[in-house]
Amino acid sequence: MNWNEILEFSRGALFNVALIFFVAGMVYRLVRVLLLGWSRDRAPAAGSKVGGVAKSFLKGILIWPFIPWVKRTFSKNPIIYLAGGLFHLGLFAAIFLGTPHMLVWKSLLGFGWRTLPVPIVDWLSAGAILAMIVLLINRRINPVLKLISGPAEYLSWLVVFLPMVSGYMMTHHMFFRYEVLFSLHMIAVDVLLIWIPLSRISHFMFYFFSRTIHGLEFGKRAVTP
Amino acid sequence: METQTALNTFVKETGGWAASQLEACTRCGMCAEACHFYQATGIPEYAPVWKIELLSRAYEQRFTVSGKIKLALGIDKPINDQDLLDWSKYIYHACTVCNKCSMVCPMGIDLGTLIHDVRSGLAEAGVVPADLKAAVELQLKEGSPLGVTDEVFEDRLEWVTDDWEVDIPIDKEGAETLVVFSSIEIMKFPQNLAAIAEILNAAGENWTLSSKAREVVNFGFYEGSHERTALFLRRILDHAAEMGVKRIVVTECGHAYDALRWTAYNITDVPKDIEITHISHLLGEYVSAGRIHLKEGALNGETITFHDACKIQRKGGHIQEPRQVLEVLAPESFVEMSPNKEEAICCGGGGGVIAIKEADPLRYEAFKLKKDQIEKVQAKTVVMACSNCRLQFTDCVQHFEMDVKVAGLSQLVADALVE
Amino acid sequence: MSEKTIYQHLQEQGVSRRDFLKLCGMLVGAMGISVPPLESADFLFQSDGVDQRMVQRVAKALESKTRAPVIWLEFQDCAGCTEALTRSQSPTLIDLVLNSISVEYHETLTAAAGFQTEANKEAIMQAYHGQYVLVVEGSIPTAAGGAYCTIGGRSAVDLLEEAAEGAAAIIATGNCSAFGGLPKAAPNPTGAKGVWEIIKDKPVVNIPGCPAIPEVFTGTLAHFLIFGNLPELDDLNRPMTFYGKTVHDRCLRRPFYDAGKFAMSFDDQGAKEGWCLYKLGCKGPTTYNACASIKWDAGLSFPVQSGHPCLGCSEPDFWDGGGFYQGQSAPLNPPGMVSVGTAVGAGAVIGAVMAANNASQKKRATAAGNETYREDKKEA
Repeated sequence: MNWNEILEFSRGALFNVALIFFVAGMVYRLVRVLLLGWSRDRAPAAGSKVGGVAKSFLKGILIWPFIPWVKRTFSKNPIIYLAGGLFHLGLFAAIFLGTPHMLVWKSLLGFGWRTLPVPIVDWLSAGAILAMIVLLINRRINPVLKLISGPAEYLSWLVVFLPMVSGYMMTHHMFFRYEVLFSLHMIAVDVLLIWIPLSRISHFMFYFFSRTIHGLEFGKRAVTP
Repeated sequence: METQTALNTFVKETGGWAASQLEACTRCGMCAEACHFYQATGIPEYAPVWKIELLSRAYEQRFTVSGKIKLALGIDKPINDQDLLDWSKYIYHACTVCNKCSMVCPMGIDLGTLIHDVRSGLAEAGVVPADLKAAVELQLKEGSPLGVTDEVFEDRLEWVTDDWEVDIPIDKEGAETLVVFSSIEIMKFPQNLAAIAEILNAAGENWTLSSKAREVVNFGFYEGSHERTALFLRRILDHAAEMGVKRIVVTECGHAYDALRWTAYNITDVPKDIEITHISHLLGEYVSAGRIHLKEGALNGETITFHDACKIQRKGGHIQEPRQVLEVLAPESFVEMSPNKEEAICCGGGGGVIAIKEADPLRYEAFKLKKDQIEKVQAKTVVMACSNCRLQFTDCVQHFEMDVKVAGLSQLVADALVE
Repeated sequence: MSEKTIYQHLQEQGVSRRDFLKLCGMLVGAMGISVPPLESADFLFQSDGVDQRMVQRVAKALESKTRAPVIWLEFQDCAGCTEALTRSQSPTLIDLVLNSISVEYHETLTAAAGFQTEANKEAIMQAYHGQYVLVVEGSIPTAAGGAYCTIGGRSAVDLLEEAAEGAAAIIATGNCSAFGGLPKAAPNPTGAKGVWEIIKDKPVVNIPGCPAIPEVFTGTLAHFLIFGNLPELDDLNRPMTFYGKTVHDRCLRRPFYDAGKFAMSFDDQGAKEGWCLYKLGCKGPTTYNACASIKWDAGLSFPVQSGHPCLGCSEPDFWDGGGFYQGQSAPLNPPGMVSVGTAVGAGAVIGAVMAANNASQKKRATAAGNETYREDKKEA
């Protein structure tokens, strides 16, 4: 088996299997939680629940990433805040605003969009890779994180790290020919797609539940979330 | 047997609300940064995410395929009796359910309520600190965890009415507002009874106490048992309905407000036409509406700061009212601690912690954070609207030999009343 | 047979010594060959970037060697590779090489036909056994016992194996003979294969492309003629000289790729400005070929330069390698709405089943809890 055949497989059949498993798995997780029973909150609200939800998302998506000092939340741990932020920034930049990935979305969704120039995405990706290493070290030395982290957490780290590193190597033609790097990248991505519904990486889906609940709880009490 | 009971409770109370949040946790550990017990001691087991680990494990092992597989293969261990004992300490000694953790969680998970859910399970299993259990028993039998029987109640009120020369209506027919005191105030800060009575009278409020609905403290709520929480709530709500009042005012107590105003509706029946509010809200209303008049600048002089009580400010929403009052009383000498308002640091004595002797060392450690805050703004007086906080502050100020006065908000208002 | 040497042959055609040496230099340049430096004064031998010692060596070889016979077999082909080769208009490199060989059998180019030309081929193969160069154009069908392509009643597989047996070198020109080309596109009804999938006991040089770039083919052929061995090959047996770099790495529009300036549709402003065609599906980054450097029509242009994205025609299975306009990075065959819908349905059903199971657990827990509480009450 040569690398061209491996590439064709990891881009073709294996990718399709991984993608289907990802979709089915995420829907399964969603339905399983949705149908677990929800009870109405009968306490009369003192403030706007909808306003609370809006503020909650504002806090999560705008304030924390860009003007965190407003909330003073991460003042105890600026390095980890920066590392977490840089990681997510690089990740989103590469996946949504990087031209090669945009074309993948286009083939799946039917429409594309404008993207960032290569050097910008490149630097952000490098930053994200560095941030991931910092976060891994932190997970080993911080006593709380060491306590709450198990094999699943470290595996999640690896499964996210490998596509980023292989993608970076691919764009920089490091060490191997493109078909080797492309294959490694695709295999890493396929593994990631399969692991997401089985792990906490799925948090991007449950984010909307927890942030909404947060907004409702604070909004009804007329407290800024 | 105990473990099974706890697990049953966990399973029972894990609906979509809890499950979606348990699924959302990314194990980032940020919650620990907000927990004053972890900050004060550095013990990782006090991290809020670890406190709800029992609930999380029960959820995974019962409700998810991967959890069931891991349990079957022996990769994960089932929850056992020792776990309950260990967690009882984290949950009751090292947590005041202040809910600051939910404010910093990047996912917005409501850890406070989830920790309360763990308490529910432990309470059903009876794995509760002895002091707390005893207090609950006392409240069941005598109507108060601090020994305020019917006789004691009558006696104390008589004494307060006499000594402070204030009118305190009890069981008045046709009253619109029912005021329910906490036995902490009755026993430890009786001047609060006089102060609040004075204020309500000055505002011309049509109010009364009730000899039957006389305890707003809810140790069932501290313990976490839904049954006992509801039982104590019913003692107030049933008599309020009987009396036909339009409003119930919770005096200077924090968790009681959380239990009555926000939790009661979901665990028992609350009469639709009764409004539930807090004395701090009333004070703010009276001052801005001009129903009472205060001597402006009465407290100008020594630096005074306000301690936000977790259940009244962060979880109650009455953040502006105390400041409205203090703006009148101490426009020049009032300073804010940092952080404050909804981000304030807990006093360390709430959630039942102060009732547990074994938790005293922890309680003092946690208070060090408040001590630093007070010293930073060089406050000579700290005022608050919760008597449990007041108990904690009083005890700790003495323990740390601090030159700081501890005051209740109502007391300061009553002292500054003018015609 | 007393044969004229290549040089003598060229002289007859009126090529001067000066022109001959110029052509040798072009050959060296195109093949990118050089001798390892023996002394530090190497730079003295450089002229226009071409190692003059190499030029001398090539000239000497062409002066002394006789023309090599070539058997050119066409199977499932379009003759495009031949057409590209023969479309040169002035004395060029291609001329030189074509003059260095004697094409003894070629379906498209030979005037003769029928059994006589087949017989001639047999004769040449016998007379020059072990010396002739075998060039193959077009894929070889293997399905139905090879019946999809027959010449003179014999299958392509048969003819190939026979010719390969006595060849000194085998060159597969064009994507079809290298990797199967267009006939191999799904569902590959003829069972089309490349030469090297059938001939396994001899090295086969692949010159893929659709068509193969003429200079690439002739350069490779020249290498064999002059040095008697095959040039350095990659793991798909393509000469490293020409297939060592991707189109992307040598593309003239590369700066626009890096700057994020893309044509969004054909003939839009970006396209008119000559911006990168990556978003229109260019496969340049994953295509090894010399298009961007050597180009076509004697260096006139190549697809990207003329405004069309690269199709990746020198790569195996490029017809099935993802749509030409969907983007190089896009998945080869993304699952359709049916598959995704099925996945959603399956997830939902299994999720609902699990949720039902969990709900019944909750009911049981509630009942058990009530019992425990009632027992406590009895004791109290």
